[in-house]
Amino acid sequence: MTHPEPLVQFSGVRKTFGPFEAVKSLDLDIGLGEFVAIMGPSGCGKTTTLRMLAGLETPTEGTIRIAGQEMNDVPVHDRDTPLVWQSLALFPFLNVKENVEFGLKMRGVDASEAHSRAMLWLDRMGLKGFEKRRIDELSGGQRQRVALARSLVTEPQMLLLDEPLSALDAHLVIRMQGVLTKLQKELGITFVYVTHSQSEAFAMADRVVIMGQGEIAQIGTPQEIFRAPRNRFVAEFVGRNNILKGTVPGQEIVVAADRMKVHDSAPDDHAIAADFVSEEFAGTGIICYFEGPEGEELKAQVREDQLATLAPEPGQRFWLTWAPEAAHALTG
Amino acid sequence: MRRSNALTWIYLTALFGFVFAPIVTSMVFSFNSDRFPTVPLGHFTLHWYETAFARPEVWTAFRNSLIAAATAGALSTALGFATAYTDFRYGFRFKNAYLALALLPPTIPLVIMGLAMLAWLARLGLSGTLPGIVIAHTVMGAPFAMAICRLRLQQMDPSLEAAAWNLGASPWRAMRNVVVPFSAPAIISAYCLTAAVSFDEFIVAWFVSGLNKTVPVMILEILQGNVDPQINAIGTVVFLTSMTLVIAAQLLILRKSAK
Repeated sequence: MTHPEPLVQFSGVRKTFGPFEAVKSLDLDIGLGEFVAIMGPSGCGKTTTLRMLAGLETPTEGTIRIAGQEMNDVPVHDRDTPLVWQSLALFPFLNVKENVEFGLKMRGVDASEAHSRAMLWLDRMGLKGFEKRRIDELSGGQRQRVALARSLVTEPQMLLLDEPLSALDAHLVIRMQGVLTKLQKELGITFVYVTHSQSEAFAMADRVVIMGQGEIAQIGTPQEIFRAPRNRFVAEFVGRNNILKGTVPGQEIVVAADRMKVHDSAPDDHAIAADFVSEEFAGTGIICYFEGPEGEELKAQVREDQLATLAPEPGQRFWLTWAPEAAHALTG
Repeated sequence: MRRSNALTWIYLTALFGFVFAPIVTSMVFSFNSDRFPTVPLGHFTLHWYETAFARPEVWTAFRNSLIAAATAGALSTALGFATAYTDFRYGFRFKNAYLALALLPPTIPLVIMGLAMLAWLARLGLSGTLPGIVIAHTVMGAPFAMAICRLRLQQMDPSLEAAAWNLGASPWRAMRNVVVPFSAPAIISAYCLTAAVSFDEFIVAWFVSGLNKTVPVMILEILQGNVDPQINAIGTVVFLTSMTLVIAAQLLILRKSAK
């Protein structure tokens, strides 16, 4: 995924709040039309990064460029970086249509054009007939779509999203993921999506940026990050990974849970003996949890019919193996 | 259950009776033809209203009070809202001291406040003038306005204002188009309440009003001369004016917290 002219360029960006270093040193290019997810545990600096892009925070050091222009001294209201807030931040004293028109009015678009553009977006977001509703009369999913329409009606080059789905029910999250990916493809604009949810990031993004303690831990496609985590932090954060000792002393390898095979009798010398602990139904299969020889947690993903054949009991001994090509060595 | 319900009703009736009986008595006697407040009542009359409002100084006093209430209400509300917004939006050193100072005026005994105002306004050449009364009442009303606006701003999502900036609103336009509309119920109720405070206020007004008497000051001066049922008539009008303002303020506060 190469983009000739990056839309956004962070170079050497650092941000401190008093003694706390929220972002240590950030170098990141984001291309035009790219869907980038910035992911990490809370306090990793992902939200600060997004807020700096929107101009809500000023970098302590370094520069942020948007379309080649240095943005450090451009105030929030002069930027074209609409944000979908975690709380949505819809205006409760305005109705649905007035909310969507707000950005247009602030940018001096005249009333009749603002009206027609707002109606177009409400229609597009499936909110036709809701334009006179008050915000507190809408469901969570409808509010979400109002927030999207409000941000996109000004036809920006990029959309920033700050954990927008975290307040929704699980089934709505999946549906909104579909809405977002489709929208991003149709509009061809850049989406910068901040989340702590691996499933959201991996389901939607072209590229995932994993952040930890104010630094980028790894950048890559969801596939790359899932199959080839660069270090232990990424491997652990991504989850459903087994971190094992490599053949070379001191080296660690990662084997994803879905590449682990479970046997009820010892197949060969390389198998790890592990005791069954519990199982968990995941969307794509069943994750079985085991305790390894040194008390470590091991995970293996099996199909439902395999689970039925294995019929594991807690404490029962199994053997885990993997194909050599499934193992990925960690570098740091 | 029913027994305690009945007790509650008795208690409430007694409470409201105790609070409102004197006012109701005054209202009743304002329509009574007898010169002295005695039972049995005479016949119904509007005579006391007619004589009271035939006096030009009563009209002047009402005019003074209304101007002072309207202006002091507006100034207190503007100051109170600005103070509450500063508290909502900014964190700074000595913020607690700043807030304590802003909320201080109601704790000062009114006689002291009146004396201090008299001394200070005399220096500025404003004692005995309507602007002098407005200044004094603004000082007294602003903390109430601040408390009401602060309560409302605490309910506001801090992202709301930033969302307005993010959509292209300059800080001033965000204030006008988001913060003020959001706070509108509190601003109106603060205005009603501070106007009522000014309209009713006697002690400080007595010190600083000089010849520009407000209604409460005039009432006392009439009363010092003689007991006259005109006082009941004027008192009834004053009571209804303040109650209208206070009830309007209360309704707005209740409506906004119901949301």
